Amino acid sequence: MTPIVLYLVTIAVYFVIYNILVLGLNIQFGYAGLLNFTYITFVAIGAYLAGVTALGRAPGGLTQIQYIFGLGLPFPADLVVGALGAGALGLVIGFVALRRLRSDYTAIVMVSLGEIVFATVGNQTNLFNGQTGLLDVPQPLAGNLNLSFNNYQLFFLALSTAIMLVLWLAANRIYHSPFGRTLRAIRDDEDAAAGFGKSVFTYKMTAFVVGCVYAGIGGALTMEYLTAWSPGAWAPSETFIVWSAMLVGGRANNWGAILGSFLVPILFIEATRFLPPVSGHPVLIDSVRGVVIGLLVLGTLWWRPQGLLPERRRFIRLSVGHREEAVTNV
Amino acid sequence: MSNAHLLQLALGFGVVTGGIIALSAVGLSLQFGITNYVNFAFGELLTIGAYMTLLASRWIGQFWLAALIGIGVTAVFGVMINRVLLQRFVDRRSSTLTMLIVTFALSLILQSTIQGIWGADYQRFDVPRITTTVNVVGFLFTTRQLMMLAVAGVAMVGLHLLLTRTRLGRAMRATSDNSELARVSGIRHKRISDWTWLLASGLAGLSGVFLALTISSFTPYFGFQALFLVFAAVILGGIGRPYGAVAGAMVIGVAIEVSAVIVSPAYKDAVAFLIAIAVLLVRPNGLFNVRGKN
Repeated sequence: MTPIVLYLVTIAVYFVIYNILVLGLNIQFGYAGLLNFTYITFVAIGAYLAGVTALGRAPGGLTQIQYIFGLGLPFPADLVVGALGAGALGLVIGFVALRRLRSDYTAIVMVSLGEIVFATVGNQTNLFNGQTGLLDVPQPLAGNLNLSFNNYQLFFLALSTAIMLVLWLAANRIYHSPFGRTLRAIRDDEDAAAGFGKSVFTYKMTAFVVGCVYAGIGGALTMEYLTAWSPGAWAPSETFIVWSAMLVGGRANNWGAILGSFLVPILFIEATRFLPPVSGHPVLIDSVRGVVIGLLVLGTLWWRPQGLLPERRRFIRLSVGHREEAVTNV
Repeated sequence: MSNAHLLQLALGFGVVTGGIIALSAVGLSLQFGITNYVNFAFGELLTIGAYMTLLASRWIGQFWLAALIGIGVTAVFGVMINRVLLQRFVDRRSSTLTMLIVTFALSLILQSTIQGIWGADYQRFDVPRITTTVNVVGFLFTTRQLMMLAVAGVAMVGLHLLLTRTRLGRAMRATSDNSELARVSGIRHKRISDWTWLLASGLAGLSGVFLALTISSFTPYFGFQALFLVFAAVILGGIGRPYGAVAGAMVIGVAIEVSAVIVSPAYKDAVAFLIAIAVLLVRPNGLFNVRGKN
């Protein structure tokens, strides 16, 4: 495999993982209108928990490497633990943030809670090895398959694509289900939905936890692919990348999630990752990237607020006398 | 040093930190009173205040004059971002949700721009390190801390007089209470909005310079990090209520400095957030908020 093909495979894996992340955020914000401004926290917890499930017991002692669990379990177990762990954290954070707060308070609470998790993971070195983070996490089935490095990359791409497809179909299923319909009703008019006897908090919480499980799976896959994860990998700006991918692609449209995760994280972030650094200015590319992504979001909100691929609203036509009238969207 | 003594020292620091946060919290509250959306790019005004001061002090050498220029530039810059960007989205009747994302994007743009110009490294002002302390009823302060407290106090009193004794202040309060009613009473909304942004951004700039002096070295992200302490103060005080914001800031300031001694300095911000979250759990509209202003 030539380096360029290997590079493309790497980019493709990132694309697939971002797609999963955008789908999860789409369930939370696109479907239910929930403001998860600390999405990356759930990705990180998914990654960490997958890591400590796959890794063996922490060596400790002189190596100073310490972390919880260290179960040494094989592949699907780490993904499941990561997904469930992120979901569980979603349950805890959702319990605080999804109460009837003003939307701006919800956003503030989310970011604050994310900062608390960040500070805890960074300082409690016995959780996930503090600032150094986890290293040398075993990759899925790598021991059993005995593939060459290049072939393993292809195998991982196939594996993550399969997982993404299942999650994509599930997200679509949720959208069209009665549950998804209720979520959109809550998003569009919370009081009306409550008036129809829907338990708004329960619905919001369910959507939030499902979105967090997606985040956890995305995080677990990232961990398995990169084999390392530390606090440096989840700066708050990473949350904004997922947000911008969803907003640009089109909220509440899962084709938009695919388009968005190709346009924003892949074209702007990963494809520019290997540009040669400007001499004497190591963070210049990073800065330009931040400005461009910010402008991209502002431009989208100004010229095409619904995103490139807007939500396709289906209307029930009820005939009232001779006039056909669009009454409600389904 | 005994624990009681350390605690007393932390209490004094807390008052200084509280005073600095109060400047921002009042600015944020004033701005919120007029705009009715939370500005997530407010933290960048603190950052811009510090970096503009840094830039000016390298040109003219005299720090306090440079700080004045830096704060002035920040104030005007605040008016500009409102006119060029934020007000246009508001004029389109954008939802609170949209405004949240717009200000988040703006925050990222400003942060990245500052990082692009100055780099991600720590910066510090060219001011002498002060080691001598003054004893004020058992609390130890440096002269610089006392001066910052005095400036913050003067700014608060001045703002109080402005809001209660002048036509401009009354117009600002009227617009904050009920902008439609203020408009039909002949108050020019644009003019009041400009003045409010000027004042709020100036306070943010001042707060940013003081905060940068207190933590002694700063990065392009320090304003964004401080913003959530300001939010915690504003949530305690009730959003859009400048006087409540001062009280909230004092509580947060003392809480973080004291918890740095009792718990660990690594968790002092976390303690402030926990206080704000606990308050929201009990009173979803903030501690001192009144009905109607939502």
